Amino acid sequence: MRVNGVWIEDTFAEAFTMRAARVVITAKSDRWAREAALKLTGFATSVIGCKCEAGIERALAAEETPDGRPGTSVLFLTMDKESLPTRLIERLGQTVLTCPTTACFDGLPAAPDRLGVGKALRVFGDGFQASKVIAGRRYWRIPVMEGEFLIDETFGMQKAVGGGNFLILARDADAALVAAEAAVLAIEPMAGVILPFPGGIVRSGSKVGSRRYKKMIATTNDAFSPTVRPLTASALPEGVSAVLEIVLDGLDGGAIQDAMRAGIHAACGVGGEGRVISISAGNYGGKLGPHHFPLRSIMAPGT
Amino acid sequence: MSDRIVLTLRQPLTSALDASPITADHLAACTNVEITALSLRYDGEPMPVGELFRVQGERSPHVVLEGDLEHASGIGTGQVRGTLVIEGSVGADVAVGLAGGSVLVRGNAGPNAAGAPPGASRGVTGGEVVIRGAAGEGVAGCMRRGVVAVMGDAAAGAGRGMIAGTLVIGGRAMPPVGRFLKRGSIIVLGEVEPDPLFPYACTYRPPHVPVLFRHLRTAYGLPLSSAHIGGSYRRYCGDMAELGRGEILAWSAA
Repeated sequence: MRVNGVWIEDTFAEAFTMRAARVVITAKSDRWAREAALKLTGFATSVIGCKCEAGIERALAAEETPDGRPGTSVLFLTMDKESLPTRLIERLGQTVLTCPTTACFDGLPAAPDRLGVGKALRVFGDGFQASKVIAGRRYWRIPVMEGEFLIDETFGMQKAVGGGNFLILARDADAALVAAEAAVLAIEPMAGVILPFPGGIVRSGSKVGSRRYKKMIATTNDAFSPTVRPLTASALPEGVSAVLEIVLDGLDGGAIQDAMRAGIHAACGVGGEGRVISISAGNYGGKLGPHHFPLRSIMAPGT
Repeated sequence: MSDRIVLTLRQPLTSALDASPITADHLAACTNVEITALSLRYDGEPMPVGELFRVQGERSPHVVLEGDLEHASGIGTGQVRGTLVIEGSVGADVAVGLAGGSVLVRGNAGPNAAGAPPGASRGVTGGEVVIRGAAGEGVAGCMRRGVVAVMGDAAAGAGRGMIAGTLVIGGRAMPPVGRFLKRGSIIVLGEVEPDPLFPYACTYRPPHVPVLFRHLRTAYGLPLSSAHIGGSYRRYCGDMAELGRGEILAWSAA
């Protein structure tokens, strides 16, 4: 199969079940909502080293938020449900609570699984905090030097999908970056999905374990690393000198699939004159992750 | 089951009517015949609903009362769920001891609206009461939880002994306001003069006010402007003779 002349490998992305929360941050201006979101989602690229994955889902207009101020929606994922509240409490307490003018709301109010995030953070108020129940939701008002910080008492948690991905195999690093940037631009406006890596792009895809170091749980994906092509069982087609990966986390498989389709179309759209050679995906033989995203099914006409 | 129950007053009331059995949750369990036969006390004597009201609908948690009910007291007493809409003004003790659901009064309300039953230490313990007009003395007395919104003036004694919850007064709040307030918030958009037992804290934008006001505007169509929603408020903490954990938030400016 080819899309805009770019070969689509007959393979699939393999993804995992994760637990997710959606955090809505509002502030006096877009700038401050985004500042808080950037800090909240910093160092949250991969559960391998960061214990969580997070990213900005989208900017919210004032009329979309509970307090009528500009906002930013963040998706926050962990591998298990026990660690999600821990990570949220740590991070919200150090980033959103500390950021001028912000308030913090649950973005999954209908989710039956509830995490007592605001309930835990309220004790920062040292007994001066107060709660308010509005339309059935309890909020905590925590006094701070600027005034008050408002946060939902509980945040919803739901199952999600982490580790959706596709690989852009290009003639050189510049071509790979142009294509990856186009993919990110196409995916960014889409709801229910985030790209947790810097700028949405990964240059250091990994494989499970190590050929040499027993303690390493993940090491470089040498099969797709062009500089060691002669030294390993390379998966790189001829003419490929650089690979970039787009990793996607989403609230459900449909969101991941839609985003992969949009991203691959965009990457292939700038791949004229043989700049992008092919699109592939990372998997573990289908044995580790329950969610499989076959590239050719996703990119089939009419899907 | 109907989409709503409508009780229309047949003739103007000339004597006091104890209408405390009329609550949305009570009527939601009744057939039209049962509602018609429901006994109230009019001028101290038992009187079936059907003699005072024309009854339409049955078994619905949405109840509408039509007619001048200024002589009717106790409507919505202890209501747990459902919506009760009073299209005009109403007498004393409306929504006393409300525990859930909502009561909307499109006109004025008499004394002790959303207050506590006689001898009770707690008034409203949940739900929402909205009075589009003015409220008589002692609105939201001893409230434990919930939201009470009065869009007109509130007579003396508003929020007396509130334990928690939120009282919004859109007009003037006659003194005294919030006396014996333990926790709870009294938000006043009109004129208010807090007691000396409510020392001034600061002027700021309380972050929960936009959330509350946007909800009230959406759910009940209350005329809360963007100046009120995003405005500044003077915060007074009190009652210092009690816990001092309550507050009066007096609207200052946009």
